[in-house]
Amino acid sequence: MAAKTNTSPPRWRKKLFSSWLARLGFVLIGLFLFVAAFAPIIAPYDPNSQNLRATYVPPFVGMSLTGPEGQLGLWVREINRTPLGEVMIGETQYPVKLFVRGDAWSWWGGILRSDFHLFGVDGAIKWYPFGADEQGRDIFSRLAYGAWISLSIGLIAVGIGLGVGVPLGVVSGYAGGRLDLVVQRLVDIMLSFPGILLAIVLVATFGTGLTNVMIAVGIATIPNYARLVRGSVLSLRDREFVEASKALGNNDWRIMAQHIVPNALSPIIVQSSLQMAIAILFAAGLGFLGLGARPPEPEWGLMLARGREYLATAPHVATFPGLAIMAVALGFNLLGDALRDALDPRGKS
Amino acid sequence: MRRVIVRIVLTKNLNLSQTQKIKIILKLEINKITRETFQSSKLIAHSLYTRTHLTTYIARRLLTVIPTMLGVLLVVFAMVRLAPGDPAELLAGEFATPETIKIIRERFGLDQPVLTQLGLYLSNLAQGDLGESTSKRSPVTKEILTYFPNTLVLTIAAMLVALLIGIPAGIISALRPGTIVDLLAMLGALIGVSMPVFWFGLMAILLFSVQLGWFPVAGTGTIGHLVLPAITLGLGTASILARITRSSMLEVLSQDFIRSARAKGLAGRTVIFKHGLRNALIPVVTVVGLQFGGLLEGAVITETVFAYPGIGQLLVGGILARDYPIVQGSVLVIALAFILINLIIDLLYGTIDPRIRYD
Repeated sequence: MAAKTNTSPPRWRKKLFSSWLARLGFVLIGLFLFVAAFAPIIAPYDPNSQNLRATYVPPFVGMSLTGPEGQLGLWVREINRTPLGEVMIGETQYPVKLFVRGDAWSWWGGILRSDFHLFGVDGAIKWYPFGADEQGRDIFSRLAYGAWISLSIGLIAVGIGLGVGVPLGVVSGYAGGRLDLVVQRLVDIMLSFPGILLAIVLVATFGTGLTNVMIAVGIATIPNYARLVRGSVLSLRDREFVEASKALGNNDWRIMAQHIVPNALSPIIVQSSLQMAIAILFAAGLGFLGLGARPPEPEWGLMLARGREYLATAPHVATFPGLAIMAVALGFNLLGDALRDALDPRGKS
Repeated sequence: MRRVIVRIVLTKNLNLSQTQKIKIILKLEINKITRETFQSSKLIAHSLYTRTHLTTYIARRLLTVIPTMLGVLLVVFAMVRLAPGDPAELLAGEFATPETIKIIRERFGLDQPVLTQLGLYLSNLAQGDLGESTSKRSPVTKEILTYFPNTLVLTIAAMLVALLIGIPAGIISALRPGTIVDLLAMLGALIGVSMPVFWFGLMAILLFSVQLGWFPVAGTGTIGHLVLPAITLGLGTASILARITRSSMLEVLSQDFIRSARAKGLAGRTVIFKHGLRNALIPVVTVVGLQFGGLLEGAVITETVFAYPGIGQLLVGGILARDYPIVQGSVLVIALAFILINLIIDLLYGTIDPRIRYD
């Protein structure tokens, strides 16, 4: 039991940030959360505003809306001139500025309303930092809004998995007997549809769309939690402190809530981080297959699928959403690894 | 401990004759011996049990598969009936005439109680009848038999890729833990796990098929058609295998018998491969088994990316065309294949690791 003192907060926290990979994970997740929370500020344009003259415009290119209409120009950056560079269209230079006014937006259900954007180009041109898609929509802006979609998919799916899987695992492991048998057989059945297949089955049954995808991916994560939690409950059930609590006259629900769940928490936390990565990948996969979000939703998987048709001529349309998905999934995987190393009482030295 | 105390109490404090004391002590000793022999005989009995009753184990493991399979059947059966809309119309397809719908309704007993429907479904299934595809106008069983072998080939090829990349990478990392090689390999493995299969597939097509022209863009038939899909599908598994191999290898290499082998003066290579790797591979084999299921799942997406005619493409095409008989059939086949693979791995377990006991 001496090991208990080793997991005191400072040591724990120090361990969490100890490796470079862990730090990279925190940076990626921090960035993702920030972009998701403030998508309209970070995005220079509305994610659905089309510009049919700008279809498949490559990255870094700007297009003038007035004067020589539809003329294209490239973003350049000369040292000691403008900090963010400028877009050159013909002879005219349009500097990229911080905090510009642009498309009006409302966010968080209308609590936040403004027309301010983190960066953008003033005046009569539109600039596409990551290029434009098949309808001339700004890919960068769509990615920013897509971050919010991915985050909500991840949170809701993991929430469903936690909310149903953990109680199921705790009760099944603690009660044992026939109840355990029934729950485990159910879990077996769910696990017989490997990975994304269960989500596909659910979506095929109840229809596509973002809400159904969230629920389907959430249900698909339930068995993982149920299995994991049951395992740790089984190892805790016969420990002295549980018996002591029983001897003190506490009922089963109280024992589960006060002794079993808190002690089974660290694998659940680790699993949740990994599961976020899986949920985001699953949802993107469904979007890619055409079984997830519906157009014009700026969902990353769907964006990637649209880019597929013009892969040879406009590879950027598929490239950037893929990079975004990978960065976020990598972040959650790194975070999960770091949490595991930090929370594992056996601890690698 | 208690026995010793009792013995002292007996010999010192009680007013018993010497013979009585000896008798009691003997009795206690005999008790001790019988208890020990009993325990060891139990161990022998146990190992005998596990050897002779492997067949019992197999039978029991097969029995646990049955409720799972029934559950899977139930889920697939329920899919069409839970979907919004009339199941007969769903099974008949979008452009069906009222007559076809009527025929379908009678054929699957859709106007009868659910239990009758289930019975009919199961008896049809037992005869290999999975219904008729609405988009392809042919029996589902025939479609699956043409598509599924392709998926098996792709899955096995992907597993080969995963083994050839994952295990060497894991060994190299484990031999130089904490170095830049290890860090890069493990970061690579994490990226491999985090990378969306479909994105990697598209990028591979873009680079190797469109730009370099080394491989065909899509389709099947030659080895060339298999290379990119197999690499795309196998990479995620390779990453998982690399991580497992590394941690397993690190654990094995830190054990006493490795130190003994080194102390004995064996060559480093012999120690690492003959003593280390062979033991480290046991958990890897388990994961290989589990990953076959993961590959089946990944095949659904990979096949769509490469337009590879496998069961995954059949399934996704079926969903998009609202071809429910095809969807039911392919879901059923993938799930049953997955159950079967897990069963085989479980049964092979004991052969790979003699320490594992069946009970």
